[in-house]
Amino acid sequence: METCRGRGDTLISMAEQPAISVAGLWQVFGSDAASAFRRAQNDGGSARDIAGRLENQGYISAVRDACFEVAEGELFVIMGLSGSGKSTLLRGISRLVEPTAGHVSIEGEDVLAASKARMTELRRSRIGMVFQHFGLFPHMSVIDNVAFPLKVGGMGRRERHDKVQDIIEMVGLKGREGAYPRELSGGQRQRVGIARSLAGDCSVWFLDEPFSALDPLIRRQLQDEFLDIRARLNTTIVFITHDIAEALKLADRIAIMRDGEIVQIGTPADIVLHPVDDYVREFARDVVRGRHAKVGSIMRADDDRAANGTPGLRPDMTLEDALATCMAHYEPVAVYDDGGNLLGTVDPQDIASALKADR
Amino acid sequence: MSASRELPAASMPRLPRGQLAALLTLFTGAICLLLQDYAPWMVRFPEAWTLPATELVGAGLDAVLSAIKPVMRAWSWLLSFPMSWANAVLVGSPWPLIIGAFTAAGWYIGGFRMASLTFLGFGFVLLSGYWNESMNTLSLVSVSVPLAVLAGGSLGILANEVPRIRAALLATLDAMQTIPTFAYLTPLLLLFGFGPVVGLVASAIYAAPPMARNVILGLERVDPEVKEASIMSGASRWQQLFLVEIPAAGQQIMVGVNQCLMASLSMVIIAAVIGGFNDIGWEVLLTMRKAQFGQAFLAGLVIVIFAIVIDRLSGSLALERKRHDRRVTWGLLLAGAVGAVLLALTGADAAPEGVFSAAAVAVDDSLGAFTAAHGATLDGIKTSAMFYGLLPLRIGLDQAVLPFTWGFQWTSAMSLWLFAVAILAGLGLAATGRHMAGAGLVIAVGVVETGIAELPWPFVIVGTMALAWVAQGTRLAVLSAALLGLVLISGLWDRALLSLYLSGAAVVACVVVGGAIGLLSAVSGIAWMIIRPICDMLQTIPLFVFLIPTLMFFQIGEFSAFLAICAYAVVPMIRYTRHGLVSTPPEMLEAATSSGATPWQTMTDVRMPYAAPTILLGLNQTILYAFAMLVIAALIGTTGLGQSIYLALGQADVGLGVSAGAAMAILAFVADRLAQGFAEERRKALGL
Repeated sequence: METCRGRGDTLISMAEQPAISVAGLWQVFGSDAASAFRRAQNDGGSARDIAGRLENQGYISAVRDACFEVAEGELFVIMGLSGSGKSTLLRGISRLVEPTAGHVSIEGEDVLAASKARMTELRRSRIGMVFQHFGLFPHMSVIDNVAFPLKVGGMGRRERHDKVQDIIEMVGLKGREGAYPRELSGGQRQRVGIARSLAGDCSVWFLDEPFSALDPLIRRQLQDEFLDIRARLNTTIVFITHDIAEALKLADRIAIMRDGEIVQIGTPADIVLHPVDDYVREFARDVVRGRHAKVGSIMRADDDRAANGTPGLRPDMTLEDALATCMAHYEPVAVYDDGGNLLGTVDPQDIASALKADR
Repeated sequence: MSASRELPAASMPRLPRGQLAALLTLFTGAICLLLQDYAPWMVRFPEAWTLPATELVGAGLDAVLSAIKPVMRAWSWLLSFPMSWANAVLVGSPWPLIIGAFTAAGWYIGGFRMASLTFLGFGFVLLSGYWNESMNTLSLVSVSVPLAVLAGGSLGILANEVPRIRAALLATLDAMQTIPTFAYLTPLLLLFGFGPVVGLVASAIYAAPPMARNVILGLERVDPEVKEASIMSGASRWQQLFLVEIPAAGQQIMVGVNQCLMASLSMVIIAAVIGGFNDIGWEVLLTMRKAQFGQAFLAGLVIVIFAIVIDRLSGSLALERKRHDRRVTWGLLLAGAVGAVLLALTGADAAPEGVFSAAAVAVDDSLGAFTAAHGATLDGIKTSAMFYGLLPLRIGLDQAVLPFTWGFQWTSAMSLWLFAVAILAGLGLAATGRHMAGAGLVIAVGVVETGIAELPWPFVIVGTMALAWVAQGTRLAVLSAALLGLVLISGLWDRALLSLYLSGAAVVACVVVGGAIGLLSAVSGIAWMIIRPICDMLQTIPLFVFLIPTLMFFQIGEFSAFLAICAYAVVPMIRYTRHGLVSTPPEMLEAATSSGATPWQTMTDVRMPYAAPTILLGLNQTILYAFAMLVIAALIGTTGLGQSIYLALGQADVGLGVSAGAAMAILAFVADRLAQGFAEERRKALGL
């Protein structure tokens, strides 16, 4: 695709056909946005020019020329501030809103060309989605919520209840099948949301800020459980978040959005080490400043220089803590494991330059 | 035009909209007053200029009605089946079974409290001796409510599915609720003929809009993520609607059912004026006509208790999810059945004679004694209210002040003096910066001197336009003028002014009294504890019942009607005033207190301005309530449109009934839009 070149957008495994491929996707809001977009596009220019012309006519381009591919089994995170268009992008891919222009294919099937009935079929069998505020049906018990995709697919009551038992157990809700959403905590509610999205044995999984509405502690716990589930199911995942720490923790690759545009796509390391512009750098800034990188990452294991053993660092210390400990030293400092065995040394200068590089 | 002439005009200070409107109104009033002797057409719209609207409407409607009559008669025939079944079940079943069934339902829905309320309520109905009449009423309700729920629900779903027709549908619902209840009884009477079906259809029509409204609201408020989740689960549109959206909106829809029930009950009772069905409303009407106020009061009480039981029962169905032990439910039902069998064995299968009829007679007698003993006082209250309040408002000081009433004769010199003083005071107010108050004072004095019913028509129309312009803008101004113009050329203008006068007087009284009570309730928790249940009850009582007590003490006449309207219309004023005042954000109050404001200063300078939009909405509700009650109050003697509508019903005059109903709806509509416009304007000004 012409529009998709030159973004450093490479798949983890190029050999396979991508599970999801999105090209030239636009989401323009306003009355009769489709023809307004066509007129603006005919005038030519870059995506930014087109969006600018549309804005002058009172149209809002929530997603501008989005292009990316997600490999089978990949966890693809879309990150951006609120209003950057990330949720709208996901709704365009899942056709909860009709995109103005572009191409979306899921597992080789052209989704935007699919009929309504076909779309319903796809949602029952292949696509699962989790929502920020859970989207649970208040009048249904946990088990009925989870089994809903099977129910609308025409499965009998007993059969579908049997079938979702495993999923309910997997998300840790065994014993609460008869409870109603109002009787559950936020974390439990999202477990129901996750279980429901998995009930149809989906191969493509969309998660729209699934943990943003939760307390930090619960959030971390659910992130870990989510990674476990993911390892077990090996689905293709598109995950939306506004939290860079979450993105770095979970993602195989991250797409960063601003004002409806994808500004960079890359692995977490790419994003941190080679931000394309100040906007991305600004995101990465808070995170890596010594708080997430560990002593182990800059330790020299086979250093035979005389090490200063007095402060004694450990490999799982963060750079920040390490810096505080050996502020006064100029020579390398020794790193020990819990048993007190010497592992290697760290040069305080390396700590300083690692922190500086992040800036 | 040269530039030099434009400059000073541009630099002239421009008058604010409100002042310009007030001046315009004043100016029109002054012209009309000055020219009344030379151009009498400026005061009274000449009859020659009016169109025979009532005849035209009558002829048109007659044609339409007779065309669809066969279809409607077929409908009527169809409807008579479920009606006779419901009647057979409710009247035919032995009373212990009915009471048992309702008590069981009460238990299932609301536990011990609801069960005992239901049991006591139905027990009272039984002992009152109006059991069969009440069951007749209930059977009408039990057929009309499913009809209304079905019709309203379908309309609501339709509006949800087809957004394009939504605005039109909502406007129609508005109209259905503004057109006075009696007005559509007349065409229905022609369509369906005398009999209970008219009441049934009328109550279904009246009860459908609240249902539709709540369905629309409920579906609209379903969490968007819930809707999306059902789409992403692969539900078809039909499955989304019936498996997810409607159940998720269940609570709001049950509120709709509750309102639907209450509206239906209210209308079924009002429809008793047509007669032909031995229901409880008819009983009230009959005893009222025979001046047996004790019995009328008792029958009215039965209606009130009925209304309260039905309201609380369906209300807790909407609000509470918890359902109670089924075993007790079955037990209560069984107890009812056993009671029925025992009753049959003893051979006394009919409902017992009223044990309260003696009490009713006693009430009647003591009431007679009371009115005889205090007749002078009651008459005094009534005549002074009439002479010093209502009459001057209606026909103006210039005609109301007579040696017979006030002890002296009003002269034109007095009018001149009054105007001179008012203008001076108005100028004084304007000079101290209160321009609007000054203009308002002069206008008010002018209105009181002339009387609302005698106001010159250009003044009324220009004044309304000016208000509408200030409240919302040019569109509403033009619309109001056009609608009022319609009333003017239809020849119903005089009657419309009479209606305006009585409802206006009632609204003013409600604003003063209701505002004061609302204020009291806002500052004193104890006062609210006492006032709240009274408000609850006043809002549950069907309109019709308000007539009974006023009639008992003040006989037929305008004053009784005025009191009945006030009693009904005051409630929203109280509620909204209190709600507005107590919902001031706490940090705002803390800021006022820490700035050193006294409680009274906090009230006048912080809480009242903040509450203004809410209070204006209360005023809006009060106006609509007053118009609704005005028509019902025609039963006990009002003039104006209400009376015309009531007379038209008696004479089966569709033209008069419908045109007068439409005129009434126009008045209510314009008043409603004005108050809403002002409320909206205030809300915007406060940034809410």
